[in-house]
Amino acid sequence: MFASKRLSKELTKLHDHLPPGVELVKADDFTEWLMDIRVIDTNPLYQGEVYRLKFSFSPSYPIEAPEVVFVKDTTHPIPWHPHIYSNGIICLDLLDTSGWSPVHNVESVCVSLQSMLTSNTKKERPPGDEDFVRYNTQRPRDINFVFHDNQV
Amino acid sequence: MPPGNEYAADQLKTQGNTHFKNGEYEAAETCYSQAIQKNSKNPLLFTNRANARLKLEKWQEVIDDCIRSIELLKENMKAFFYLAQAQIAINHPNEALSSALMAYELCTRSAQQTSNAATISALVLKCKKAKWDIRERDRIRRRHDLLADLEVKLEDAYKKEIFEIDEKVAKGDMGTVESQEEKSEIKQDWEKKVGDLRTAFALSDPEHLQKREVPDYLVDGITFEIMHDPVVTKNGRSYERATIIEHLKRSPTDPLTREPLTITELRPNIALKEACTEFMEANSGWVYDW
Repeated sequence: MFASKRLSKELTKLHDHLPPGVELVKADDFTEWLMDIRVIDTNPLYQGEVYRLKFSFSPSYPIEAPEVVFVKDTTHPIPWHPHIYSNGIICLDLLDTSGWSPVHNVESVCVSLQSMLTSNTKKERPPGDEDFVRYNTQRPRDINFVFHDNQV
Repeated sequence: MPPGNEYAADQLKTQGNTHFKNGEYEAAETCYSQAIQKNSKNPLLFTNRANARLKLEKWQEVIDDCIRSIELLKENMKAFFYLAQAQIAINHPNEALSSALMAYELCTRSAQQTSNAATISALVLKCKKAKWDIRERDRIRRRHDLLADLEVKLEDAYKKEIFEIDEKVAKGDMGTVESQEEKSEIKQDWEKKVGDLRTAFALSDPEHLQKREVPDYLVDGITFEIMHDPVVTKNGRSYERATIIEHLKRSPTDPLTREPLTITELRPNIALKEACTEFMEANSGWVYDW
């Protein structure tokens, strides 16, 4: 019920100013946006690559968290990270129902993901990635991730 | 009331509710009317019928039902809520606003009905806008009348001068060439005056001068909209009551600090509310669409 008004205001702000390394790709409606991010430091894991994020909003956004996943295409790989599955699903408390707060927004999520990549040194997938990617049929918001690791 | 009538009324009410849920508003209205014949002391029957009649756009009958329901039960949020909607539909924004405000107050006072706060607060805003629209239309009409009057006066003065020159020419006091020059000068002068007058009116219109920006401290951090009923949390941040309640129902934590926070711990931020109201009044018009 709030989503479209709030998103239209976020869009105005994004057109006005974007943080470094964040680009707005597509925001034609208030249900799905595409954003590109890249790291702005020299972390060798991510040099020269641009990652594409898909935001899906429910009508209750921002009370409800947006669903955010990395999407893969010919020019956009899925970044290596122990909390990012190879199908693009992200395990980040901020995006989970219990960790989400309505004061977050598209920009702050992009910046959080940027810094999650920046601070990572492991070229790894989460444990059980293969099985998860093969068998998971759930939507990201319905998965109960356990946030055991606060180091990354 | 004969025994059993109360029961019969309840049965009819349930039937009415089923029709209402199925979108059969006329059938629902009929059931509620029959229920009222059985038991005219139940305020809920009147509010239910009012709701059905709202859907059928029978505005005057909605108003009658709401008033009867309020007579039976004073603290009647639903009745005031429906009443406001009917009053705004028949273009009585002043009455609609006071009904909507009453509904909002009753809503915030009762703990279990807070989920309606957002809907009612949207209605309050709609009433305020309708009220402002009428005032604004009046103001523009008055402005136009004044501008039109002044333009007519300038034109009259211009015509009079032209007439005087024609008279002089007719009497032989002025040559034709000289009169042509004089006339074109008067005409230019008149056109310039009209232009200046219109510019002056345009400049004096506050819409042209105001910056259309709402300061951040009046904006709710959740909806990004200007607040109407701000409440303050333990850490000193303020949010719109309806939206923070919506958040707290899902997650009883402070949106910024994530510390535990419950609805009962919220306090009205009266000074901020006044600042919001003042801003709304000073900038009404564009601020409603912001």
